[in-house]
Amino acid sequence: MRNIENRKYVIALIFLIIPLIFIVRLFYMQVVDSKWKERAAQISENRITTYPARGIVYDRNGVKIISNEVYYDIHVIPKQATNTDSVALTKLLGISMDDYVAKMNKARNYSRRKPSELVRQIPPNEFSVIAPELYKYPGFFEVARTLRVYPKKIAAHVLGYMNEANGNDIEKDSYYKSGDYIGRSGIEKMYEKELRGQRGVKYYLQDAIGLSTGKYENGDYDTLAVQGQNLSLSIDWELQAYGEKLMQNKLGSIVAIEPATGEILAMISAPTYDPNLLVGRHLGSNYGALAEDTLLPLQNRCLNSAYPPGSIFKTVMALIGMQEGVITENASFPCNKALAGCHDHPTAMNVSDGVKMSCNPYFIQLVRRIIQQGKDKSIFKDAAIGLDIWAKYVRSFGIGTDLHVDYPTNVHGNVPDAAYYDKHLNFRWAFSTIQSIAIGQGEVLITPLEMANLAAILANRGYFIPPHFIKSMDQREIPEIYRTKKYTMVDSAYFEPVIDGMWRVVHEGGGTARRARLDSIEVCGKTGTVENFKRISGKVYQLTDHSNFMAFAPRDNPQIAISVFIENSGFGGTWSAPLASLMIEKYITGTVADTAKENRILNANLIPDADDIIRK
Amino acid sequence: MRGQENKLFAHIDWGLLSVYFILVFLGISNVYSSVFDPDKAGLFNLDTEHGKQIMWFGVALFLGLIIFFLESNFIRKYAYWFYGFTMLLLIAVLFTKPIHGAKSWFGFGGVGIQPSEFAKIGVALALARFIDQNSSSKESRSIKNASGLSTLWGIIPFIAKNKETALIIGIPCALVLLQPDAGTFIVFTSFILVLYREGYAGNILLFLVISVIIAVITLLVADTNFMLLFTKIKLSGNAGIIIVLVVLVGLFAAIIRSFVMKRNRKPLYRSLIGSFLVAVIFVNFVEIGYTNILQTHQKERIDLLLGKIDDPDGKGYNINRAKAAIGSGGFMGKGFKSATLANASQRHVPMQSTDFIFCTWSEERGFVGAFVLVGLYTFLLLKMVIMAERQRSVFTRVYAYCVASIFFYHFMINIGMAIGLAPVIGIPLPFFSYGGSSMMSFSVLIFILLKLDSERKVVLQ
Repeated sequence: MRNIENRKYVIALIFLIIPLIFIVRLFYMQVVDSKWKERAAQISENRITTYPARGIVYDRNGVKIISNEVYYDIHVIPKQATNTDSVALTKLLGISMDDYVAKMNKARNYSRRKPSELVRQIPPNEFSVIAPELYKYPGFFEVARTLRVYPKKIAAHVLGYMNEANGNDIEKDSYYKSGDYIGRSGIEKMYEKELRGQRGVKYYLQDAIGLSTGKYENGDYDTLAVQGQNLSLSIDWELQAYGEKLMQNKLGSIVAIEPATGEILAMISAPTYDPNLLVGRHLGSNYGALAEDTLLPLQNRCLNSAYPPGSIFKTVMALIGMQEGVITENASFPCNKALAGCHDHPTAMNVSDGVKMSCNPYFIQLVRRIIQQGKDKSIFKDAAIGLDIWAKYVRSFGIGTDLHVDYPTNVHGNVPDAAYYDKHLNFRWAFSTIQSIAIGQGEVLITPLEMANLAAILANRGYFIPPHFIKSMDQREIPEIYRTKKYTMVDSAYFEPVIDGMWRVVHEGGGTARRARLDSIEVCGKTGTVENFKRISGKVYQLTDHSNFMAFAPRDNPQIAISVFIENSGFGGTWSAPLASLMIEKYITGTVADTAKENRILNANLIPDADDIIRK
Repeated sequence: MRGQENKLFAHIDWGLLSVYFILVFLGISNVYSSVFDPDKAGLFNLDTEHGKQIMWFGVALFLGLIIFFLESNFIRKYAYWFYGFTMLLLIAVLFTKPIHGAKSWFGFGGVGIQPSEFAKIGVALALARFIDQNSSSKESRSIKNASGLSTLWGIIPFIAKNKETALIIGIPCALVLLQPDAGTFIVFTSFILVLYREGYAGNILLFLVISVIIAVITLLVADTNFMLLFTKIKLSGNAGIIIVLVVLVGLFAAIIRSFVMKRNRKPLYRSLIGSFLVAVIFVNFVEIGYTNILQTHQKERIDLLLGKIDDPDGKGYNINRAKAAIGSGGFMGKGFKSATLANASQRHVPMQSTDFIFCTWSEERGFVGAFVLVGLYTFLLLKMVIMAERQRSVFTRVYAYCVASIFFYHFMINIGMAIGLAPVIGIPLPFFSYGGSSMMSFSVLIFILLKLDSERKVVLQ
């Protein structure tokens, strides 16, 4: 029955139970469940990443060749951007109305109160026009960021460029986040870890809109950004700039090395381009234009192209012959034009003559003695034995092997050995089949770096230090390999006759490189005129010869070893030799005396037309 | 004169008065921390919310003093007059300019008065007066032959028999709904507890509890689909509920059959069928009401509460921030003025000095503080029940229960919503939420109670 008096107990019970439920719930939320503490931290704390400046890159004399410059992004807070004159704004910022509308919509969808990016990476010169007008557009503001600048505008291939990290990069190294920039080629890529530094982080407290209200725990957990390491490269910027100027309107390469240290003084691949083109908001379109250029400006020919060496290879042949004992320095061979074509010249009576006059039959006969040593009755097997011995020698000169240069991509030349011909020829072969390797044609291929390295070996009379770009780093020694001599298989003594011949090439009448003569410096060099062929619509055509020259100077205590290779331009002595001498003179004396020679080279346009390349 | 004065203050319940002062003091210090502005650091700075709160407290004390010098008979005599006055205010406010979409405020140069707060006092007094005067028959207070949900059939005649009570509560309900202020409207339903105590149909309470359960289940399940067991028939959640109800009916029928004597079965069967019909109608009503009557933001709040949507940074922003603030307080709290969420400079918790004031307290004082606060309120409520029961005067007893019910509702809904057990309804936490009208009205409710109680030993006239 209803006992009204007892109802007070019901009410009192309700007044006790509800609070009890609350207490239990509060206990759970505050003491037991940690998810609310985490959520609270998530809401009230935030972090911002601070980016370090990327390491600066200097040339060998302390001149900045890669530096950092401030670029500007334009950001917008949609809530504050009211009554924007979008026509004027898009014109000022240099973006299309469609792009503007799309980005504004995206910004509004993301957050009305937080900033979104509208335009990115405006170069400082463009921004100086925009900056004074920006106040007219409330809600739009600039955010500074640093990007690379190449103040001397040189060495685009060597220095490389940067672009946004992609999925692969992030997968390989979790340091990178989407939107980060990473070195994509050249030095920027090779030394990415040293140059990039270390991000810092600042923890802060934020309010309901996301604006910072102060440091978290007084900054106890913050870490400072660590500046990227600076690098000094071995490149001499003035020599590099001069070489790029000389190589204008030509296709080819120049590589200059300091023989005593293996430091690369200059590396020019032509055609080249201003490295600043691949920075900032125009990177995409500029890269596209360069990639479509049929002259292949993006290709670093010095490291990624291999050519037949031509006659410069003869120096190596002579050295191998003497070391192997199949000839002495006084070996003489007649200029038997049945073996190979040759220009008119006196008979070569010794190695020095052979080198000076660059006699093709001389070297063919020389190399036959190396390859067909009569160690086997079958000439085929004999050739195979000899060839493998020959290949071993050649490779010891750094040709066709990995030189361990500090550059992310490179190819090496090709030194054919027995296995190579067995694979590529479907008939039996002996020396006569392959004899053009004696004169640096045929299947022998060499890169311009290997050619310059060869010049360095000759300069050093028998060894080289693996060529490299890095001269010094802030925080570590350069690798041991770049301080170690690598000896070829040929004794130092045998180099003199060859070097003597190389001196006469330049300084004696009848030498093929008289255009490389300098009054004050003793240049030792060797020309090469490289035959090359191309298949056009099924038919094989012979193209204009490549002009090749390798040298070192001065003869005693050499300071520079250089290789110049100009595609499809003619005789080695006509173009590459004089260009090399200009580089040598510039490097050693700082100026050039023969301005006529200089002008001739500067004004020469040796880029072939489509049908020009066919040899007439 | 002296003697009379002594008499005036002689029988004041110091327990209640102390708890009142403690709550006010803690509340003001809490508001201070919640809105602390280093530029206006003074506690009494009238430019700040805490300063204003202190001012309102002063006004309330003044009103309290006046009340104490009144004769309690005066209060009783003029109960209906006061009620009428507050009703007029409620009508008048409907002609003001809407603020935040509701016409609930009178503004006087920088300060605002909310008439609905004072209407609560009016209803309490009027209800107390009426019940005191009309100790109506048991008959009229009960709902005829009803049990369980079929109570519904008896509601209309029930209301007809108790039209005055219905009007006293109903008029302000309607007026408040016209503003519209759904939150305050719900507070007026708290008077059901009073009616329950005074002997009106107890079924109502049970009815309410069962309807709430059914409503919740309906809202959770109605728009989902499920597969009927062992078959491949797809059914809506709606149908599922009906099936469950049918099964329950069968179950109860079986129970009645087995345990009740034959002659008593018939009315029970009738109630059972009646309840079933009511339940079906109610389920549909809930769905239709939810879809068509409730406004979007109200629907969202219910969905959030039931866990149907989880949108911590969007629609669920308020409640997510509130719970995070409370939950992160831990056992001991973060310390005075050291909240990281519900603090003055970062203001992650919306309305943290008004509706969500509990968050600042919980985050700063932790579970210990929350426990203390809940304990204080519980003490307050139980004290009021005790005070009510020791009255000889029906008027004072009814009034005391009214006060307790009002406080209970505010406490239950405000704290409940902050911890995610009630939908977000914006009503203040007494003495803690910043607000002049609520500070005054809650204070006046208590002062009148203290005054009436202090004269409990006086012989009724």
